[in-house]
Amino acid sequence: MDKKINLSQLADMLSQQGGMSKSASEQFVKTFFDIISNTVLQEGLVKVKGFGTFKLLQMEDRESVNVNTGERFTIEGHQKISFTPDAELKERINKPFAAFEIVEITPEQADKLGDVETTTAAPESNSADEPEETVAPEPVEEIKTPQVKDITQKGITRFFLRLLVWIFSLVLIAAVALYLLWPVVGDKVTEFINDKFPGITLVEPVQTPVRAPKPQEIKPNPVVEQVEVVTIPADTTTIQPVVAPDTVQTIVLSKADQDKKLALFTEADTVNFRITGTLAAHKVQKGESMVKLAFRYYGSKKLWPYIARYNKLTAASQLIENSTINIPRLAVK
Amino acid sequence: MNNKQFLTELSGKCQLTPEKTASQVQALIEVMENLWSNGDSVSLSGFGVLEVKKKNERVSVNPTTGVRMLIPPKLVLTYKPSSLLKDKLK
Repeated sequence: MDKKINLSQLADMLSQQGGMSKSASEQFVKTFFDIISNTVLQEGLVKVKGFGTFKLLQMEDRESVNVNTGERFTIEGHQKISFTPDAELKERINKPFAAFEIVEITPEQADKLGDVETTTAAPESNSADEPEETVAPEPVEEIKTPQVKDITQKGITRFFLRLLVWIFSLVLIAAVALYLLWPVVGDKVTEFINDKFPGITLVEPVQTPVRAPKPQEIKPNPVVEQVEVVTIPADTTTIQPVVAPDTVQTIVLSKADQDKKLALFTEADTVNFRITGTLAAHKVQKGESMVKLAFRYYGSKKLWPYIARYNKLTAASQLIENSTINIPRLAVK
Repeated sequence: MNNKQFLTELSGKCQLTPEKTASQVQALIEVMENLWSNGDSVSLSGFGVLEVKKKNERVSVNPTTGVRMLIPPKLVLTYKPSSLLKDKLK
C-alpha cells in the first residue's frame, strides 16, 4: 500500500507477467513512456488503447485575483499535459466504488447537507479550457458569503429559541413541583421567605390561619370570644384593616378572659394542667388525630395526652371515624 | 498519434514484432492496474507519477434545472507530469 513503484520494479513485475527478460522489459517500459512524453510534446496527442489519452493543452493568459491582497494579476499562458484514462480502465479502477450512484437530493435533504454546490463550479472549469475563468471567482465568492452568514444567523436564533423554551419548561416544572410538594415543604418555604425577605407578606395571609391556632381556638367557647372579637374593633378601629394585629388582640383578650389559658398554652407543658370537666364532645372526622384535636381546641399540639387520658385511649390508638370523643376542659394547676 | 502509430513506433524501437508489442503493452497496463488497485503509485523519472486518488462525494447542482445531486465518491487515475517534462513545456 502507498508504495512508490519505480522503473526497475515495474520492469521486474512486467518480466514476470509478460515472459521477457528483465533488461528487455526495462527497455520496453522506458521506451513506452519515452514515446508518450516525446510525442505529446511534438504532436500534442497520444492515444494508447487500454490506457488512455495524453493531450497537450495550451492555456491562454487569464486574469486572477490574489486572495490575500485582492490584487489582480495575469497568469500567463502556458502548456499543460492532461491525461484522460480509457473508459474501460477508469471503470476497472473505480470498481470498489462502483456500487454508488448519483442521487438526486430533495430540498429537505439539501437543507441538512448545507450548501456545498458552489465548489462544483471550480473543478469543472479547471478541466475545461477555461478562457472565461476570470469572471468566475468573483460571483462564486459573492454567493458564498451571504449563505454562510444566513446559516450562522439561523443557528444563533435557533439557539436562543431553544434556550428560551428550556428555561420556560424548567420554570414550569419547578412551579408544578412546588405546587405538588406544598403540603410537605410549604411551611419551611414560607418560613424561609419570611426570614429572608420580611417585606414580602404575600404568603403570610394564606399561612397564618393554617399555622396560628388562635382564631380557631375560639371555637370551644364561641359565644364569649366572638363577642370579644367584635368588641375590639369597635374600641380600636384604626387597627382593623391589618390582619396580624387583629389576631394578636384576640389573643390578648382571651388571655385576660380565660384564666390566662392561652398564655400558658404558649409555654405548653403537659404537666401544668388538670382536667376540670368536659369542654366539648367532638365527632371524629376522617383524617383527624388527637394531636390535631389538641391543636384545634387548645391551640397546642403538645396537649394531646390530656385528650388521650380523658378518653382512656393509648397513644398508639387511632381515632375511629364518626366516634365521639370528649374534649377535657383544662385548668392550670 | 493514435494507438496504431504508437504501437508501430514502439515495436520499431524495441525490435519486437507488432503482436509481441501489443501483448507487452497489455501486460504492462495489467501490471500497473494491479499496483493501482493496491493503492501504489507508479513513478517514472522523466515522465511523471501515475496514481489513483479518491475523490470525495459532493453535491452538485444542474445549473439549468437547479436539481441538486449527490455525486458519489470515486477513484480516479491521475497523472502528474514530472518537473523534467514540465520544463520542456512552454
